[in-house]
This record gives sequence, structure tokens and C-alpha cells, in this order.
Amino acid sequence: MKYLQYQWKPRLCYVLAISIFVSILLVSLEWTSWAEQINAQGYSHGDGEGKSKMPSILMYILPFVKELILIGVPMLITVGIAKLIGRFSKRK
Amino acid sequence: MSDWKQNLQKTRYVMDALLLVSFMLVSAPQATGVPLHEWLSLLFIVPFAIHLLLHWDWITHSFKRLFSKISAKERFNTVWNYLLYLMMLLATISGFLVSVALLPTLQIDINIQDFWSKIHHDSATLIMPMIGIHLALHWNWMVQLTKRMVGKKA
Repeated sequence: MKYLQYQWKPRLCYVLAISIFVSILLVSLEWTSWAEQINAQGYSHGDGEGKSKMPSILMYILPFVKELILIGVPMLITVGIAKLIGRFSKRK
Repeated sequence: MSDWKQNLQKTRYVMDALLLVSFMLVSAPQATGVPLHEWLSLLFIVPFAIHLLLHWDWITHSFKRLFSKISAKERFNTVWNYLLYLMMLLATISGFLVSVALLPTLQIDINIQDFWSKIHHDSATLIMPMIGIHLALHWNWMVQLTKRMVGKKA
């Protein structure tokens, strides 16, 4: 782990300081009219409807299938586009 | 494969693989349950910080390089990485602000707002295709390193 240990303390301090600073800026979104509007409208995203009919094993598998699709499909599309761009730029 | 700690690229590969697996575990609260999801999210900060530390050189040079003559792919990759970092912070921070298990256990009371529930749900969903594109931008590196790690190429 020599690469990880090299100057890890000051580097980690920088990363944490920047992350905390950016996080404080993000938390300030709470005071925008956008936040007020969403709080006034209310929000819920499906509190388990339909889950009771689902076989229990699927409840553990489906979230990971959803992740694989949400990560994998854009990844494969982007790889395809990058290869197409690469072929066209080689022809030129 | 045993020498991965002595090689920066292999160290990055192993740590990035662990980061991806831990991200997938953290991002499935329907499977793990919300309390475990929240505690795992706290632990997830460790592999995420390791990922940033192992790419320190890129972090320190990327901003300057953004304003120099670089390829469109590199420029897109740099901007995408910054956006991904912001989205990761937003998902993490909003997750803490809607905590129903972690913060109450730590005796911290918060007033959960619908705004943060929506932001957490949306950012956590949006981050997945963003990671997919992030992985695609490093596809050649992943394929090369996978071959090296399984011993096809020294």
C-alpha cells in the first residue's frame, strides 16, 4: 500500500476540507425557493406498494439487477459511441 | 496478482473494483434494509477517499489541464469527473439529512424535509448512469488491467 500511504494525511485533509466546504454549499440549497416548493408539494417515492406480492428472493436480487442495468447500459452505449468516434477519426 | 500492492495501476484496479462493489452494496437499500444502508454509506467514505487519494496526481493537474490544449475526450472526462464528485457528495449529504437510523443512533435529531428525500432519491438514481459513463471512459484501461491481473499479459 505504499502508493496509498504516501503523504496520505495532508492529502486526506485537503480532500476532506474541500468536500466539507462543497457540502456546506450544497446544504444551502435548503434555503432556496426550489426547496420550499418541493417541501410545500410533499414527496414520496412508492412506499413498498406491490412488494408483498413479490417472492422474497427477488426482493434481494432485483435492486442489484436494477443497478447493473442503470450502470451497464449507459456504459455499453458510451463504449459503442467512443469506438464509432474512434473509427471515424481514424478514417480522416 | 499477488504483487498488486507494489504497482500503482494494479493497486488502483483492485481498489476501484472494491469501490464499485461497495457502491453497489450501498446503493441497494431495498435489499440491505435502510439501517444497514445508512451504516454502509458511512463506511463507503473510506473506499471513496482511497479512490481520490490514489488519483491524487490527476486531481492536482486536471484543473490546470482543463484550460490547456487537450483532446475533447480528456476535457469531457475531466468535467464528468467533477460532476460525478459533486453528485456523490450530494447523494451522501442528502442521505445523512434523511437518516432514520444512523443519526438517531448517534443521538442527533434532524427534521427530515421532503426536499432532501427527493434530492437523495434522484441523485442516487442519476449517479448510476453517470458511473456507467465514467467506467466507459476508462474502458481500455479496465480491459488492459483485467488482462494483466488475470495473467494474460505481464
